[in-house]
Amino acid sequence: MTEMVRKTNAFEIINHWVLAISFFILAISGYGFLFQLEEMNSIFGSFNQMRVIHNWVGVVFAASLFLTLFSYIVEALSVSADDIGWIIRGGGYFSKKAKVPPQGKLNTGQKLYYLVALLTGIAIAAFGFVIWLMPGVKKWILISHLVHNISFDLMVIAIPLHIYLATLANPGTFRIMVYGTVPLEWARKRHEKWLREMGKI
Amino acid sequence: MTMARKALMISPELCIGCRGCQTACKEWNRLSVIKTRNTGTYENPPDLTPNLYNRIRFVEMPSETNLVRWLFVSQRCMHCDDAGCMKICPAPGALFKTKEGAVSFNKDKCIGCKLCVVGCPFNIPRYDDKDKVSKCHLCSDRIAEGLMPACAKTCPTGAIRYGDRDSLIDGAKKIGYEKVYGEKDLGGLGAIYVFKDAPKIYGIDEHPAIPETVVFWHKVLKPLAYLSLGGAVAVSLLHYVAFGPKKDEGGEEK
Repeated sequence: MTEMVRKTNAFEIINHWVLAISFFILAISGYGFLFQLEEMNSIFGSFNQMRVIHNWVGVVFAASLFLTLFSYIVEALSVSADDIGWIIRGGGYFSKKAKVPPQGKLNTGQKLYYLVALLTGIAIAAFGFVIWLMPGVKKWILISHLVHNISFDLMVIAIPLHIYLATLANPGTFRIMVYGTVPLEWARKRHEKWLREMGKI
Repeated sequence: MTMARKALMISPELCIGCRGCQTACKEWNRLSVIKTRNTGTYENPPDLTPNLYNRIRFVEMPSETNLVRWLFVSQRCMHCDDAGCMKICPAPGALFKTKEGAVSFNKDKCIGCKLCVVGCPFNIPRYDDKDKVSKCHLCSDRIAEGLMPACAKTCPTGAIRYGDRDSLIDGAKKIGYEKVYGEKDLGGLGAIYVFKDAPKIYGIDEHPAIPETVVFWHKVLKPLAYLSLGGAVAVSLLHYVAFGPKKDEGGEEK
């Protein structure tokens, strides 16, 4: 049997999928609002209903995003010279032979992604709530509408890349958000510093 | 054959402040009366409400020849060609253009978000007690049948006239008005005015415009929403083709 190490716990996995599913519901209905897509009527019943769903799923999204702080923020903010090296080598993604400096539990790219997702997530949620709760207040709504949409545009860049990097680009990664465990050998090549900290190697 | 765009031509100089248009509008649209307070002016009600699509604004100006100069002007939806309310509205069919060029609404489709309120350059849309949009719709039900809007029909002095937009503008220019307010603004308004003074005096914005953030959103952020998503997916696929997945058996590691 291959020796496995646990990378995510059940709470993190469940919360990840709550966040992911709420994001998809919000993004689909978001596109519906953005382009007045009548097709959404067949998914959400009516635009009135879609608005209610969009707003309340937004609450779920915000709560779930908040909970990710307990899992990732400390790690995401710990920076070292190895992160610079990782960035200089493009994370090893642009050459078949590139070697990147040893990484912690999250590699530099994952840390950056987390920070981008967190900041755009906070912006889109906070300003979404303003649009919901302060209707008609011109000064606030105009700025909120703008920021809500800018963050949306950033998110629809970040999230497809995240999905690609966590599936096709890095075989063996997806199971982290399903089973939570990875083979020790797999982790040694990607998260060496983390395994050292845990005393596994 | 496309129908010529229709418009209301409003001539404040002809208005006698009788407010027949307010009443006729309420009658046709079955809008109930609301209680207001006398604050020392004949202007009543003091603002548009969900039950008041059109009102006469009373302006008192100092005058050298009289005790006071009294100006009356109809305030209502301007039926912009390039309508900020429609641009920002997220619900299809809630606000729509009629073939005459009126900006009309369908309360059943309205989702009550009030974005139209902030998109409107003229502060016109109001919301009723069920949180549905409410405003002048140029009596779109009447004009569809070839009738005049109730306000124009009832106006005794011709201060509000309804007709083909082009001929109304031509007519005004022929009788000596150099400028027609709303001829070009926002793609051309469907409620156009001839003023003998600066529109500002009548409480009307001289250079009405859709808020810049809404224009930016419409022109840049909306297309970007598709381009970003498509770009991110395309970059991912290209990367996969060019570099493929990360492999473990690099062998360079110690």
